[in-house]
Amino acid sequence: MKTNEQKNGGLSALMTIAYRNIWRNGRRTALCVTAIAIAVFFNIFMQAWMEGMIDGIEEVVRTYETGHVNIVAAGFERDKEYFPVQYPVADGRNAQELIDNIEKLPHVRAALPRITSYATLFDSTVKHALLWGIDVEKELKVNIFNLTDRDDGLKDGRYPKKGEAECAIGSILARKMGLKIGDKLPLKTVSAQFSDKYFNPTIVGVFEFDYRKYDEDVIIVPFDKLQKILVLGQGTQQLFVYADNASWSAAIKTDIGALVGKGNFVREWRDNYWVAMLQQSTFLYFIIFGVFQVVASFLIINTVLMVIHERIKEIGMMGALGMTRREIVSVFFFEAVYLSIFGALIGCAVGGAASYIGSLFPLDLEFFTGGGMKDMPISSTIFIKFSPGIVAGGFVFGVAVSAACTLIPSLKSAFIEPVEALRR
Amino acid sequence: MKKQMFHSIAITLTVFILGAAAAIAQDQPNAMALLAKIDANEVYKTISYKGQMIVDYQGKRYLKEFVAFGRGRTDSFVEFLNPEDKGTKYLKKEGRLYVYSPDSEEVMLISGHLLKESMMGSDMSYEDAIDNETLSARYTPALSGSEELKNGKAWILDLTAKKKTESYPKQKLWIDSSTGDLVRYELYALSGAKLKEYALHKAQTIGGRRFPVESEMRDLLRKGSRTTFLMNEVVLDGAISDSKFSMRNLER
Repeated sequence: MKTNEQKNGGLSALMTIAYRNIWRNGRRTALCVTAIAIAVFFNIFMQAWMEGMIDGIEEVVRTYETGHVNIVAAGFERDKEYFPVQYPVADGRNAQELIDNIEKLPHVRAALPRITSYATLFDSTVKHALLWGIDVEKELKVNIFNLTDRDDGLKDGRYPKKGEAECAIGSILARKMGLKIGDKLPLKTVSAQFSDKYFNPTIVGVFEFDYRKYDEDVIIVPFDKLQKILVLGQGTQQLFVYADNASWSAAIKTDIGALVGKGNFVREWRDNYWVAMLQQSTFLYFIIFGVFQVVASFLIINTVLMVIHERIKEIGMMGALGMTRREIVSVFFFEAVYLSIFGALIGCAVGGAASYIGSLFPLDLEFFTGGGMKDMPISSTIFIKFSPGIVAGGFVFGVAVSAACTLIPSLKSAFIEPVEALRR
Repeated sequence: MKKQMFHSIAITLTVFILGAAAAIAQDQPNAMALLAKIDANEVYKTISYKGQMIVDYQGKRYLKEFVAFGRGRTDSFVEFLNPEDKGTKYLKKEGRLYVYSPDSEEVMLISGHLLKESMMGSDMSYEDAIDNETLSARYTPALSGSEELKNGKAWILDLTAKKKTESYPKQKLWIDSSTGDLVRYELYALSGAKLKEYALHKAQTIGGRRFPVESEMRDLLRKGSRTTFLMNEVVLDGAISDSKFSMRNLER
């Protein structure tokens, strides 16, 4: 009966044999290692890219579309693509009172009132735009509008002051309409009472956000001014609530639901269509990466099969000398595992380095999309996400898939009869 | 013999058919005359009235009140009185439409694509409101038949625009055969798609002319929308100062 020591020693010996074997054909080993390395690099880099993009989308959604928790009236939710203003939050209850009550809730950092409304411009080049009524001062304490430069997004001038007939417009909109600071921007909008309201604000600033849709379509006006023009009384069309940490969103949503009561729609940022869709599609990416890894592993499978075929006499001799089937299989399996490990290590080093460098330099997504994805809440600039977790995951995934793929061809060696093998 | 008999029957029938057609034609009014009558009804020196616009849109009702003054077909002035729109004034002068909004505190010219927008949330566009020319000048009418409506028989006129630039290339009018009231009309796009519908609910004779004191307009491109127009205290050919139609009055 073999002792534990003998067993361990046996395993160590088999591993040593396997390690020596992989250097018997350096070129073949290099080819295998390269294939695995490319697959692992691809997986790590693509995952870092995807996570960076998802982070960018989530950031844009939280900043512009939903906050951490978004509160609107049920009527608004029904027709939300038209941004109706005739359905204020909590039946037009005083917005400031609501904000005060919400900000008293645990883990709430700030509650911001916002109004979005369609405007018809007097200009014939660009006929329509979106009016965005925000409390600029408060917004800038909570949100970063330009994710690339990590600033307020102002390109030129300043933001409009409270109560003033002023506005700031997106850089692309300004360019299209040939407008500059000091120009007037006459427009028409429709009030909560369904009446035409005319407004002629002076442009005091030009902004450049990371959300192209806003640069192209949005006119920022003071919240209180738009509230008055749209005859909203003291109410607001939407409330954006920001938590101390995004993970508190669900708890805050429940508390707010109880506070604002029925007839209102409270949504967490994770409920956003794009966020939900991306989260669901991560499984798809996992499958894609898996397929890529399996394809790369075909090279190892092929190598193992070739090695078994080449060393058929050697296998016979190993069997004749008393090696068990399990031990023979182990040698070939360890050879494949070594190739996988070396490949994965190189892939991790290159992929990790590439994603780390990518995380330092923002990538202009519009260069790839040509601005064609403006309706998708995606940041124009993405930062590739470098994470040791992604690198470690890539390594484990690469080794596991490649090693698993070689298990079956390795078993082939176990079914070779020593006598038959020596006769060849 | 047979041939002779056939000829005499054919001649008798032809004479009978032609006679019947002439009798029917005498019964039917002339399309141009019908349209001219509609236009003539709208000719006055001045008009003033208090109006109400009730907009029903997606289950909500919005009431707008205003006073309106008009002179001929070219000049008109409207001031909104309901609290939400108080101070909003429109002036139509020399074919141009100006608005004064208390929010902007300045007069603005409504032109171009803005004219196609809904006026004060109603089913009527600015363009619908500022037509200067008569229907006879803009459209070629053709009588397409008659229809029995709730209040009697109505003639149906099909109008085809003379100019390609007309907002509604085709119109269909129903004219009350006894009163001459324009009881219903439909406005069509060039494709033949129906864009708007109008229905007269109540007309009154004021100063020898028929006035649509209660009517309804539906913009079919707006789902679940209807606007009812009410005219009260209509005064025809009364004295209205020139200053009423001035830019200064708009800004005042």
